[in-house]
Amino acid sequence: MIEAAEHPDILFICHECDALQKVPAMEPGSVATCRCCGSTLFRCPRGGTEVPLALFVSSLILFLIANSYPIMALEIAGIERETTLLGSALAFIHEGYPALAVIVALSSVLIPGFSILGLVYVLLSIHHQLDWPFTKPLLRWVSRMLPWGMMDVFLLGILVSLVKLSALADVVLGPGFYAFAVLIVLYAAAVSSLEPHFLWEQLDRPSTRHAEETA
Amino acid sequence: MTGPCVRARDRGLAGCPVCGGIVRLQHHEHGRCPRCGSGVHYRKHNSLSRTWALLISAFIMYIPANTEPIMRTVSLGQESSNTILSGVIYFLQHNEWPLALVIFLASVLLPLLKMLAIAYILIMVQRGSTRQRAERTRLYIIAELMGRWSMVDVFVVALLAALVQLGALTSIEPGPAGISFAAMVILTMFAAMAFDPRLIWDPKE
Repeated sequence: MIEAAEHPDILFICHECDALQKVPAMEPGSVATCRCCGSTLFRCPRGGTEVPLALFVSSLILFLIANSYPIMALEIAGIERETTLLGSALAFIHEGYPALAVIVALSSVLIPGFSILGLVYVLLSIHHQLDWPFTKPLLRWVSRMLPWGMMDVFLLGILVSLVKLSALADVVLGPGFYAFAVLIVLYAAAVSSLEPHFLWEQLDRPSTRHAEETA
Repeated sequence: MTGPCVRARDRGLAGCPVCGGIVRLQHHEHGRCPRCGSGVHYRKHNSLSRTWALLISAFIMYIPANTEPIMRTVSLGQESSNTILSGVIYFLQHNEWPLALVIFLASVLLPLLKMLAIAYILIMVQRGSTRQRAERTRLYIIAELMGRWSMVDVFVVALLAALVQLGALTSIEPGPAGISFAAMVILTMFAAMAFDPRLIWDPKE
């Protein structure tokens, strides 16, 4: 198990203003801000890799549930129609907008799914010192993709359509919706519990198992 | 808070945008981070012209996104088209003002504010302004974060088109504004990513 707390003074360059500065050792849970422009440099995570790992594994389980069950169903005059997350993206294909189908599928299902899976893999490898292959390129790709995942925006979209549809017909929320709503909260907590700077530091550190083997 | 700050570039150093590591670039403009393998630059390549190009394209997309219909409702043979603004007005008339507010903010006001904010930041950088640098940096961070929320209407149309397919009774089809809308959101996100906030702090050349 790796503690994130014990780190000495480190040299850091602000991403926003390019100021080179020495950041003194910090309490876990505190935030380092730039002396020059005041933006956040990095957060000092509270629970090492244990907390993010737990949150991302729970997110993964909820992600699978949210995507396997219908999120909502509509009933008008005895006819019922239901849709899953991916099903709403595919609706654009039937209507002749394949580009939109790809955008919705990527931003609400594929990119978040890949990010969660990738981070579980990287965190497991670090936490249990497994030295799994491809952790570095994987973490680099996930960092690039993270802003394109829009599950939280999709949840707002579900709520807006709920109000729109309730005027038209009876709307029934499916198990996928509840899993999705909890997923958004857990996923947000998981992402904010993660400090990429410390993850990279730990990926760089030769693991103890490896050190024992060479000794 | 604008005391004497040591600029990393003046020491031949650059911060890695992915892992936060410090990379010694010296006389090279670009390099590779030895820790994570990402590309590292003193300043993003052609940042100002790329950001302008993406921003102007986004603004062009903003026009059809708001004038073309976002969806078509066919009900018992009668067809009606809705633009985003006509949807907002419809909900205002039916006393659903929280919904009208959400749609208006996310789809109409937010993208416009984001584009204006980036244009303002670009103009100030080109004029070499040194005033309120910290405030402009914060404006950039906010603009970068809020852009994605404009995608909400595309998701709403996806859900409605998937659910409301009840044959001759009533059905909802997506309209041409959806694609311009998604393009506008993606272009503004690329514009924010193409901009290098370190330019705000660079002395005028």
